[in-house]
Amino acid sequence: MADILEINNLSKRYGGIQAVDRLSIRVERGSIYGLLGPNGSGKTTTLGMVLDVIRPDAGSFTWFGQPVSRDTKRRIGALLETPNFYPYLSAQKNMEIVADIKGVDYSGIAPVLQLVGLEQRRQSSFKGFSLGMKQRLAIAAALLNNPEVLVLDEPTNGLDPEGIAEVRELVLKIATEGKTIILASHLLDEVEKVCTHVAVLTRGVLRAEGPVSTILSPKDQVMVGAPDTARVQEVLQQLPFVESFRQERDLVHLTLQDGYSSMDVNKAMFEAGVVLAQLTVRRKSLEAQFLEIIKQ
Amino acid sequence: MNLLRIELHKILPYRTVWVLLALFVFLLVFILYAGSKVSFNGSELGGELYALPALWQRLTYIASYFNLLFGILVIMLVSDEYTFRTLRQQVINGLSRAELVLAKFCVVLALGVFGTLLLLLLGLCFGLLYSADHSLSAVFGQIDALSYYFVQAVGYMSLAMLFGFLIKKSGLAIVAFIAYAKIVEPLLHFRLPDAVDKYMPMKVLGSLTPTPGQELIDQLTTATELLSPAWAMLPATGYIALFCLLSYYTLRLRDL
Repeated sequence: MADILEINNLSKRYGGIQAVDRLSIRVERGSIYGLLGPNGSGKTTTLGMVLDVIRPDAGSFTWFGQPVSRDTKRRIGALLETPNFYPYLSAQKNMEIVADIKGVDYSGIAPVLQLVGLEQRRQSSFKGFSLGMKQRLAIAAALLNNPEVLVLDEPTNGLDPEGIAEVRELVLKIATEGKTIILASHLLDEVEKVCTHVAVLTRGVLRAEGPVSTILSPKDQVMVGAPDTARVQEVLQQLPFVESFRQERDLVHLTLQDGYSSMDVNKAMFEAGVVLAQLTVRRKSLEAQFLEIIKQ
Repeated sequence: MNLLRIELHKILPYRTVWVLLALFVFLLVFILYAGSKVSFNGSELGGELYALPALWQRLTYIASYFNLLFGILVIMLVSDEYTFRTLRQQVINGLSRAELVLAKFCVVLALGVFGTLLLLLLGLCFGLLYSADHSLSAVFGQIDALSYYFVQAVGYMSLAMLFGFLIKKSGLAIVAFIAYAKIVEPLLHFRLPDAVDKYMPMKVLGSLTPTPGQELIDQLTTATELLSPAWAMLPATGYIALFCLLSYYTLRLRDL
């Protein structure tokens, strides 16, 4: 089965800034794919290129194994950066324009407005909408032709906590219908809660890619302390399940391989004749890990 | 046809469009009405001025002054799409860049049809009211002037569309459009020999609605060489195609 989206060595430069640098990723059918990165890391530029509104300098991409065309666009619903509508037209009128472009019957408008909770405001003009309502209208427009793929660029940007929760729920609900979702976000927490796969971008460069569980698993950090730290380090060097360790004042911080815990460390130390004075386990935050990835 | 329908969705509820069109209708009717009241040597000119079939040429000549108004309207409609970022959204939703230009060209054609039909209506009203000769040959004898006017209006609006797509900002585009049509090209005409400048866009479009009584003026001053309206149709159509094509390439080469 062909991938939903395959990007090969895509590059884009704005003046002196390399916005996207030889980016290659693949999005599989049915996944919720997160593009994660700080502001200005090239997420929107990447999505803009695959949505046919930004011209790539180099590289290529295919949707459903084909180059971008009217046919592929019909199978994609997308919102990029900001909700773009005619401010003087009502929600309904704006949706009718989208329906005409996508070649969908107007009868499809009411259900999607209902889904995003805007059916009461369908006759209000767009310029009077709050940011959250604009965002939800954009999601409704993206859903209009019942697309196989949904591309959402920062969909919770500018929403209040309730709105954020609603949008996330909506995304998960849509995903259970078997749709593929590509979601760009600078919020780690959002990607971790919603996505199945993630690509981490910084300054246009791909730093890590894979299932969220392997890229963003919260690993425990173990700290040990003993009177004789030199001896502790000696033992640690011989332990196969210790990924890395470093001395920080009178404590040694270790990162363990998956499946091992502080108990194994304690046991090994005891067997080596070292009695630990201190053994602490601290959950390493996602943020810390994320910062580690993007600092590489 | 679907493209025109999409455009009508945007335009019909847009008040500015109606204001500008109403202004056009009002000014045109006002000028025609005022013209009928001008008296010369004690007799009102209405009968002479609006005598069919020469009326059609006078009418289209007067209307040609309002092409700038139509141009400004088109520029606003195009630059709005940049301001609202709806060009981008329409491409995301499935239109191609060629269709974006085609859709706006449909609006240009529709406005041209509107202007031409209005002239037809006004011409029939004033003509039948003031003209002594109501024979078919008098009424429809020189009605081809309307087709020249239509091409001229479409030509002006196509150039305005190009300026809109090229410059993005409505204020700047309007200034550039008027400056080109009324200052830059006329200045070039001074520098160039008539044999060359008669093929330049503004002059070609202008020669579609020749000044009534140009022969008289030519006797007083040195005659300028102009194409006849029928001959000007060919280069005018060529320019319209060129402006559309350049609009398309502007979008092709640009990030939306």
